[in-house]
Amino acid sequence: MKLVKTLAAGAILSVIAASASAYDADWKRGRVYYRSVCTSCHAAMPVGSINPSTKTKAEWAAYLKADKHAKGKDTVKQYVSKAYRASIKSGNKAAEKFADTPDQELMDDISAFLTKGAKDGDAPATCS
Amino acid sequence: MKTRLIKTTLALCCASWLASGPAYAEETKPEPKPVKLTTTADHTKFKQLQKTFDSGPEVTKACLECHTEAAGQIHRTKHWKWEFMNPDTKQVLGKKKVLNNFCISIPSNYASCTSCHVGYGWKDANFDFSKEENVDCIVCHDTTGNYRKPPGFAGNPVTRDTEFPPGSGKIIKGIDLSKIAQKVGKSSRDTCGSCHFNGGGGDGVKHGDMDSSLAAPTKAIDVHMDAEGLDFTCGTCHKSSSHDVAGSRYTPTAKDDKGIQVRGKAGSGNPATCVACHDNAPHKKEARLNQHATRIACQTCHIPTYARGGIATKITWDWSTAGKRDKDGKHITLKDAKGRITYESRKGDFTLAENVKPEYAWFNGEVKYTLLTDKIEKSEQRTPINRMGGSPADGKSMIWPMKVFRGSQPYDPVNKTLITPHTAGNDDTGFWKNLDWDKAIPVGMKDSGTPYSGKYDFIKTEMSWPITHMVAPKDKAMGCVECHARESRLAGITGVYLPARDNNRLIDTAGWTIVLLTLLGVIGHGTLRIVTRRKN
Repeated sequence: MKLVKTLAAGAILSVIAASASAYDADWKRGRVYYRSVCTSCHAAMPVGSINPSTKTKAEWAAYLKADKHAKGKDTVKQYVSKAYRASIKSGNKAAEKFADTPDQELMDDISAFLTKGAKDGDAPATCS
Repeated sequence: MKTRLIKTTLALCCASWLASGPAYAEETKPEPKPVKLTTTADHTKFKQLQKTFDSGPEVTKACLECHTEAAGQIHRTKHWKWEFMNPDTKQVLGKKKVLNNFCISIPSNYASCTSCHVGYGWKDANFDFSKEENVDCIVCHDTTGNYRKPPGFAGNPVTRDTEFPPGSGKIIKGIDLSKIAQKVGKSSRDTCGSCHFNGGGGDGVKHGDMDSSLAAPTKAIDVHMDAEGLDFTCGTCHKSSSHDVAGSRYTPTAKDDKGIQVRGKAGSGNPATCVACHDNAPHKKEARLNQHATRIACQTCHIPTYARGGIATKITWDWSTAGKRDKDGKHITLKDAKGRITYESRKGDFTLAENVKPEYAWFNGEVKYTLLTDKIEKSEQRTPINRMGGSPADGKSMIWPMKVFRGSQPYDPVNKTLITPHTAGNDDTGFWKNLDWDKAIPVGMKDSGTPYSGKYDFIKTEMSWPITHMVAPKDKAMGCVECHARESRLAGITGVYLPARDNNRLIDTAGWTIVLLTLLGVIGHGTLRIVTRRKN
């Protein structure tokens, strides 16, 4: 039984260690991608641009977790993916600059920017 | 059951280890351990920073345990002293000494103005400039973007939710200094911008070529800082040495003939000039443009307009209309169609603009300020707050773009000096609270140590700010016809003959005569060739 406990504790520690070495999100990179890719496209579409400060932190977290873009027609992740960046990089400098950034890192960056720039965030932000 | 549990736990352990570490299944090339590439020290690991900080100086003490020389270095800089003696004019300048025609001056308004000092606690003239823990490390080294030094707290951050001004019902949110201190890093556009974007009391107000659009600008706003491209920080050009940042508004480099600054080169030129990277003859295709560059600052052609980032800059400020109240006796605020403030009871009337064409002047780098000790006369001419030296003949001047900020501000008509009013402050004499010049001026003048006659009037002033940021991409540089035309941008520039702008009968006659003779020569030559060919 003692062995079981030790092994279980080891497993838990191992998981914690894995999350401790997790990527340290860069809100500034998120800011550039959000403004250059998300906003530039939104501004041209009928829906218009969406300021980070129009949603609360909880609303942004829920939005990103649900991963439903355009009311579920597609996903948010899709627009952060390497494949999407590759498809637009000829006409979008941010997509070109961050072409090789791992998907999850870029998603974390954007999430950090939106959390910071949310209505109740540390620095409510606009799109510009 | 027990064996099954052990197996499951072991599997979990291995899976987790595999997920977190490098894939040793392909053991030939182990991955290097993940590291931060932006710094050599992960500040979350320092015990000194793993605690709650109630004030800024507590953080500084922790910083100084390792960075033992940093505060002493800061103590030697303009950023700390806010005092600077111009070696050429011998004028004692710096933010502590000069006046401007925006919020006017610092004396008696310290607790508000020093929210942009790289220190803590400068609330009056008795501030201790020798204390190391008074240095604010975070304001330049924050990477979270969450550090704040609200006006009214003498440069101190607020660590607990605080009602300010007391009784107003407005709450300033406390910030977590521990989290911020554990994330310190290099200075950035955001850290420099936390003060320099907001000069004059708001975003873009003072400079016009610096505002929050430069935090993450597009290429069109600034070709060097372009966040998607070259991504320069302020420090890329304003290279610091021992915490002293290169570049100065008091002794600007108007003409840099020292050429490119390569590593190892002797001399101590200003690394923040265009020439320091681009050299004195940077135009590769059009040699003619290099000739222009001997008399015209790069900025003149390469910054066609300022305030290009969607944020308006103030162009005029009339203090003489300040002090009005509405029918209920309350302060008035008026806004234009774009929601920009054009009148405030506590400040007067403003005009604002975006995409502003600069004015142009010969400038040799010499700047002379009108200080409290200088006598001034009211006249039709505006009183210059700073006089920019320069002429077409001194061999040191270049044609520079300027933001010329015009206003009207209080002065003493008896002693004939400018006035330093007490504006900011939640007290009975602060003009921004009580709108009473008769209370505000004596307090401010006393704090400046300058005699006040008891009478005030308003005098028209102007102040020049050389434009040097927001460099446009080369395809957006100014075209020839902007200057070489009857309606030239350089209409006020004397001492040079500008084809298409200027008209000299002798030169024009000589030029057209040469054209005519050339034409006659070509026709004559052609005719002879045709005639002789027919004969053969």
